[in-house]
Formats: sequence, structure tokens, C-alpha cells
Amino acid sequence: MASYFEFTNPTKLCSGKGAVDNLEYELEILGVLHPMVLSDSVLEKIGTLGIVLDVLHAVQTGRIFTDIPRDSSVDVVNQIAKEYREFGCDGLVAVGGGSVLDTAKGVRLLISQDADDLLELMGCECLPKGKHVPFVALPTTAGTGSEATPVAVIKNPALHIKMEYISQHIMPDVAMLDPRMTMTLPPRITASTGMDTLCHAIEAYSCMQKNPVSDAYAAAAVTLVRDNLVKAVRHGRSKEIRMALANASYLAGAAFGNSMVGVVHAVGHALGGVCHIPHGDAMNILLPAGMIFNRKVCHDTYSELLLYLAGPEVYQATEPGKRADQAIREVIKLRRKLHELTGLPQTLKEAGADPALFPQVARTALNDGACIVNPREVTFEAVMKILEKCYE
Amino acid sequence: MKREFMNQVNKVVLEVLYRSFRVLYREDSRIRQEIEGWAKDLTLKLVCGPGGAALAVRHDKTHGIVKLKRAQKADITMRFKSVEGAFQVLSGQKSVADAYAAHLFFLEGDIFQTMSFVRCVEYLEGYLFPAFMSRRILKELPGKQIPAIQVYALALLENGN
Repeated sequence: MASYFEFTNPTKLCSGKGAVDNLEYELEILGVLHPMVLSDSVLEKIGTLGIVLDVLHAVQTGRIFTDIPRDSSVDVVNQIAKEYREFGCDGLVAVGGGSVLDTAKGVRLLISQDADDLLELMGCECLPKGKHVPFVALPTTAGTGSEATPVAVIKNPALHIKMEYISQHIMPDVAMLDPRMTMTLPPRITASTGMDTLCHAIEAYSCMQKNPVSDAYAAAAVTLVRDNLVKAVRHGRSKEIRMALANASYLAGAAFGNSMVGVVHAVGHALGGVCHIPHGDAMNILLPAGMIFNRKVCHDTYSELLLYLAGPEVYQATEPGKRADQAIREVIKLRRKLHELTGLPQTLKEAGADPALFPQVARTALNDGACIVNPREVTFEAVMKILEKCYE
Repeated sequence: MKREFMNQVNKVVLEVLYRSFRVLYREDSRIRQEIEGWAKDLTLKLVCGPGGAALAVRHDKTHGIVKLKRAQKADITMRFKSVEGAFQVLSGQKSVADAYAAHLFFLEGDIFQTMSFVRCVEYLEGYLFPAFMSRRILKELPGKQIPAIQVYALALLENGN
């Protein structure tokens, strides 16, 4: 256990049925009169954004921006910040998945620091608080946990990399988890984002910055995923199950926001940047291989994780020396089940990755900040092995 | 008094680090390869706590890195929160990864490019610290391409400017 740790989670959580109904109240409390609403065109089309806009009566939206791509970029963030100022907005409401939420974090960073270009603000824990920009996050996937993290991942199209911005000042003031926000997620995306949550929790539980507080969040997240992910894929209309996964995503986000993630995310970010593999799919494919790579130094933590991954009966029935391997097998078992139910790819070949690009992926992964807190040294050769192992 | 002692140690170790960096740019292919991947004229600064010792360098084609005046703003700055925190790293009690995990420093600039610098420091630590220390702080021993004693000897002869 670390001899010193820090834990930050200033975000107010509003979780459960009807959470969105309180949005106007929360905005008023934050002093927001003309919020900028960020979302994407799909959420606008299927009516999810409408649910949010319908609850705003006294609050007049200053600007609604729905042109955020799947992988948001520095240019998009800079453009939105410019419009925020032009339209006289005084707060942010982000309705969407990781890309929308991270875009909002980038915009908040620019406005609060009075800057025009996100590239000027790169760094980790280095920025002063700056001007307060009220920010409410309404996640529409249960995966990224971005509503609970001080991390924004934003693409730099010029370099084909996903850059990380880490600052406690980008965390939302309020996160709202409402089952209506995730109800329309198709089974395959439910599975993919759910595996992202699981990956956050497992890496948070085993990386170098792990601590008793983040462990508690991570363990609770793993348990919720174990009990609800397959059910959510099968019975997506259940509000209880959707809420359980939304809470799991938040908990895992709070865990990894403080203890960070490791090799699986480093390689996953690189696969996203170089081969355009969706993040959740990459996590699903890479997680067992990443665990096998780290097993040498994470034997005890993986053994503990078996309790949350498989429940007390399996944990009790497994010999202590075999619990770490069993934990990995439980992840593989869940992955197989999700593949059967939704066709979620289990290999990089199925996901359409080009093996000729693996050296570029490996070089990119080595420069990902997640490598530094991975419990085992991440080398070019090690990443290549993981990629080859995950190919077929 | 204790703080001043730590500050002086930090100052000396930074100088050793700088000179060794230049030596190993010539002698260690891994460090050369890392530095050659840096952006042209990239500047880096290591600040050992408020009012503490500092080292600022620039990527240079001939020598790998050259020293800059302290006051200059760098593209990447690794700033320790305290002199004591920097001392823990520079005296070999903690690796850069441990220091990051313990929030001993913060970073201004591109995390992506900083990772290459971190790897270079780990290679350097493999040379500069005795094996029992490196083994304790590094996740894996990085290996050496020349003997450590040769690095120290060449560093002594190295121009410190």
C-alpha cells in the first residue's frame, strides 16, 4: 500500500430515477442562467437530449452544440470555447458519452484559464483553479466514468494521439445519473462500455496509485458489473439494472480518477488513435492479456479481486494460490458470454485492426501516461507481445 | 538546515544527471534513440521544489542536450512540490514512477513527450545508482551498455555548461 496517497472527489452525485428533473434546480444553485449544452447528433435524434432540454424552463440555454464527433479533438474544443464566449454562456451542461464529457472538460479548462488553445494548457495537476465555470455532466453511457474523473482524453489530430489532461479543476460540479439517459443503449454498446467500466475498476485496484479509498470504489464497481452487465445486455429496459451499471461506471471512474489506469488503457488509447478501435472494444479485448502481463506483480491484488469478480462462493472454493488465475478466467468467461450475446469482438482481428500497425501502436502506447503507474515496466517488446496475443 | 542540505544534494545530483545524460547520449543507443525522437529544440526543466535547485535543458542535435539558463520557460517542466520530495528521488529513495504515484511533482507540458524523458531518467538511474538501490526503486533493471564507472569518469570530464 502506498505510504502517501491523495483522493479527490468533489462532484455532487445525483443518482436514480428522476435525477434529470433536478437539473434546473442544480443550475440555479450554481448561478447558471444561460448554459451551453453540449451533446451529439445521435442523442439529439433519438430524443435523449430532448429529455434534458424539456426540464429547463426558467433557465434559457445560451447555445446548444451537438456537432461533437466520436473522438473529440483539440480543434473542436477550441471552437466550442470560442462559441461559449460569443453566446455569453455562463455554465456547461454535457449530455453524452466520454467524448462529449471530455470535450466539456476541455472547454471548462479553456474558459476558466482564459485561454484560446488547449495545447497551451497541457499538463498534469499543474493548473490553478482559475475562474469557476459551473459544469453539470449527464452521462449517456455507463462506461467512461468521465463524470467522476479529473482526466480528459482529447485527440490531437496532427499527431494521431489521444492526449491526457489531468486536473481536479475539470471535474464536474454535479453528475446526474438517470436511467432514462442509458435506456436506449443497444446491447452491444452496453457490453462494450460495461467492459470499459470493469477495466477501470480492475486497473484502479491494481495500479501503483491504488489506495484504501479507491479500492473501496473499485471493488463496489466490480461487484455491480458482475451482477448486472449480462442482465443489462439481455434486459436493457430495466431501470434498476441500468442504474446499477451507471453507478458502477461512476464508482469505477472515481476509483481510477485517483489511482489511475495501466497498460490496458495505454495500449487501448494507442489502438484508438492508430487503428480507430472503439475504446470499450479495445478494453474488452486487452483486459485479460493486460492482467496476464501484470500477474507476476499483481498476484495478491488479483486474488483479492476474485471475491468481487466471482462472489464469495467461488472465492471460498478456490485455493488461495489459484485465485489470481481464476480472477483472470472470470474476466475471460464474462467476455465470452458478451461475445455470444452481442458479437462484441474478442480479438483485434475481429475488431479489424491491421497488424502492420502494431509497432506504431506499441510506440504510441509507451508514451501514454498510464504506463508510468502500471505496476510492471511496460516495454516496446511487452506491448508487441500483448498485441500479438490479442490478435487471434 | 536539513532543507539546505537536501537542496545542496539536489543541486549536485542534477549536475551529475546532466553530465551523465550527455555522456549516455553518445554511449547508450537507447538514450540516443529516445532523445532523437524529441521535438526539435524541445526544452525541459526539472525544478526541485520552491526556491530549490533546477536544471533546464534543450534538445541539441550534436550533444543530445545542452544547458539553459534557469529562468527560461520550458516546453516541459517537471516541478517537485517540495525540496524534500525532490531529494527522495534524487537520492535514490524513490523512482520517478513512485514519485508520480505519490504526487511529489506536477507536470507542465505534454505528458506524451514527458514519458520519453522519464524512460531516459530510468536508464540513467540504472547507471548512477548501485544495483541494490536500482533494484529497490525500479520496476525492472534497465541494463547497461557500458560500465557505470565509465559513465562517472566521462561525466567528470564532461563540460558542465
